[in-house]
Amino acid sequence: MTLSGWEAAFFWVFAIAALVAALLTILAHNAVHSALFLISTLVSVAALFVLLGAEFIAGVQILVYVGGVMVLFLFVIMLVNVGAEERGGETLFNRPAQVATSAVFLVLLSLGFIYAIRQGYEGLLIRDNLITPEQRAEVANRRRAQQQNLRPAATGTSRLSEDTQLVGASLYRFAALPFEIASVLLLVAIIGSVMLARTARQEAATGDLELKDEG
Amino acid sequence: MNNLIANTFALVWQEAAVGRWQTIKQGVVEPDLSKFLVIAALLFIIGVAGVLTRRNIIVIFMSIELILNAANLNFIAFTRYLQDTGNLNAVAGQVFTVFIIVVAAAEAAIGLGLVIALYRNKETIFVDKIDLLKW
Repeated sequence: MTLSGWEAAFFWVFAIAALVAALLTILAHNAVHSALFLISTLVSVAALFVLLGAEFIAGVQILVYVGGVMVLFLFVIMLVNVGAEERGGETLFNRPAQVATSAVFLVLLSLGFIYAIRQGYEGLLIRDNLITPEQRAEVANRRRAQQQNLRPAATGTSRLSEDTQLVGASLYRFAALPFEIASVLLLVAIIGSVMLARTARQEAATGDLELKDEG
Repeated sequence: MNNLIANTFALVWQEAAVGRWQTIKQGVVEPDLSKFLVIAALLFIIGVAGVLTRRNIIVIFMSIELILNAANLNFIAFTRYLQDTGNLNAVAGQVFTVFIIVVAAAEAAIGLGLVIALYRNKETIFVDKIDLLKW
């Protein structure tokens, strides 16, 4: 699997944008700035999804993460008081000892990643080399034939991908039980967050809490 | 352990040596699966750094979102890899990613509800001030 030409250029642009925005997310003083940088990371990762041929997931990422989760984050940031950190009255990070410990842990983690990626990727290369050139050409031909069968897009230059259809079909055919479990999980999340975010007065109104007399 | 050190050293040194210049150029002009894995690993490490070092609980939640996104990127990259090596209709990684996004949304909703409840009771969002369970 290789990208080439403009795809490669866009890959580097979006990859570096994602990494820089992620770094700024955890370094920003203002929590709102953090949220905005996280949004740019998520959009860049969505662009990487498009480069990888997963248009549906890219759309879901934009709609659910950027449109839903991040709006929730921004609402909560504006509900709680983040002024102290913003004015520089509060330190951004934990105590130096804790930061040093986590730095050591992160170095070990990245060494582990380097080792794992190198080993695993060499294994994959060995596996790829077992495929004969004829088999490779056959796969490429089948892919080309599959692409030719797709309907052309409105511009006429590209073709509509059928990946979305495939994702939907396998979601219902092979992952029906996890799908239902996910819907129950979302229901629990809705009810749970409403229960958690109630004020004392609202809890008293439903009889869950005895409100003490003030005065 | 020896193997680990040798491999790390080989990665850092050989890629930087002049003889490997062509390999690096090839990797930049035509990024392959390993580049996606490295980007995802870096996103994951940045996310873990945020979780471990920040005091603001909302930024910690954002870092968790970064970690989940790194996992998503790996899933999608491997799906594309499988598609290009013979399994034309491989979409299992995309289906997994949908579930990860669902879990992330649920986690964010519950977590932010907890933050609001906590802020009502403790008047703070700094994790080192939240020490009710500390003896």
